Amino acid sequence: MMQQLRTDLELADREAIATYLQSEFPFVEDSGELSPHVGGRTAGLVRLQSFRLEKYGKQRNFLDGEVSQLSPYVSRGCLELEELRQWALKQSRSKSVEAFVSELAWRAFFHLVYEEEGDRILKDMEKPKVPMNQHQRSLPEDIAAGTTGIPSMDTLIHMLKETGYLHNHARMYLASYVVHFRKVSWRAGADWMYSLLIDGDFASNHLSWQWVASTFSTKPYIFNRENLERYAGSLLPGDPKQGDPFNYSYEELAERLFEGAYMPEPSGRSPGQYQ
Amino acid sequence: MPSLIWFNEDSLNPEHQMVKDYADAPKVYVFDAPYLQAQNIAKHRIQFIYEALLEIPSIQIYKGETVAVLLQLIKDLAISEVVTTETPNHMIKGWQNELQKSIDLVTYPEIFPVTDHSSPRRFSRYWRKHERSWLTV
Ligand SMILES: Cc1cc2nc3c(=O)[nH]c(=O)nc-3n(C[C@H](O)[C@H](O)[C@H](O)COP(=O)(O)OP(=O)(O)OC[C@H]3O[C@@H](n4cnc5c(N)ncnc54)[C@H](O)[C@@H]3O)c2cc1C
Repeated sequence: MMQQLRTDLELADREAIATYLQSEFPFVEDSGELSPHVGGRTAGLVRLQSFRLEKYGKQRNFLDGEVSQLSPYVSRGCLELEELRQWALKQSRSKSVEAFVSELAWRAFFHLVYEEEGDRILKDMEKPKVPMNQHQRSLPEDIAAGTTGIPSMDTLIHMLKETGYLHNHARMYLASYVVHFRKVSWRAGADWMYSLLIDGDFASNHLSWQWVASTFSTKPYIFNRENLERYAGSLLPGDPKQGDPFNYSYEELAERLFEGAYMPEPSGRSPGQYQ
Repeated sequence: MPSLIWFNEDSLNPEHQMVKDYADAPKVYVFDAPYLQAQNIAKHRIQFIYEALLEIPSIQIYKGETVAVLLQLIKDLAISEVVTTETPNHMIKGWQNELQKSIDLVTYPEIFPVTDHSSPRRFSRYWRKHERSWLTV
């Protein structure tokens, strides 16, 4: 069976495109909203123009900080990684330039691993550093629906569903919440996030989930209330104080979540980003 | 030798080198319905891809099973060579391998400054080893 789709729709009329695609792909769940991320190379170049690279180094870990939001364009190939690298290296050399290029390198690094491992990246790359054999294999309904009852996590889930994009730190929080706080297998979480992201990419997505889980890193990634407030506080609603699963020191969290199987560095700080 | 440019979802660039090299070739994209359904791909990704495709001049967009659609087009248009881009995506790779059984495939690689496959499995080590190349024009 092969069927040709229309190509005479006006790019500017995104509502009409959405309606048309809904009729062609009736099995796709419709969140009702249009993503702010417009497809195509032209839109990608416009985004690049407005990206303030000089702020990136200091702000990139903050949910309201300056990041490029180019991943949909890079993952879908509208912009090429190498052209972004060349673009960045033309700017005057700074910590921001280096930070940005090293993030591009993360993407290449994940791709190299995927290239070599193929679909083995869909399974544990290494032994987990904390117990995980009891983890639930399917994603709980309340997570899929964004009705966990924890306002911060529900907000992130809704952002993901409504826009098809999340800030890197938000992805880390959500993945950590799913895997470590909710004890769901990283694969169930990764498949779910992959399906929702415009930039969905098995390499960057599934290997990042494994990084969070500790099957592709030396330790599990966890966060606490202090970290969440610091990097995401301005965008997220506050969570109820009572029964707050995040309001602990890292030592306490490790004890609660992993029953002592893993202990964080005594510094008590989360690195906040990959290592 | 009639060629066919086949875009995959990891390379939706109207200015890609392959488009320049094969300026006269028909250009196609296939929304793989079984893949979209199996992976539960959300509407935003489909819309993004579709919008990106509308920017590719004279693109033909199909819906169906990728390999079956391409084989049909190859037959109908008497194509002798399919031009496409490399991706690590194992699903797309699978289609490419399948196709290669019946036709020549020209694949354009992704461009990185360092394509060292013996790369360490930790980014920090990868970066230490290759930082200089990445930060050099
Ligand atoms: C759980 C989880 C899942 C993820 N899934 C995906 C995914 O499916 N697809 C995807 O492209 N990225 C994924 N990432 C990586 C990262 O979150 C996004 O690439 C980044 O947030 C995109 O936002 P940006 O374009 O503003 O990034 P910027 O900070 O502006 O970075 C510029 C570009 O570098 C690349 N990049 C930046 N950070 C990373 C990273 N950590 N890993 C790989 N590439 C990076 C992206 O192409 C990005 O567009 C995931 C991260 C986590 C923690």
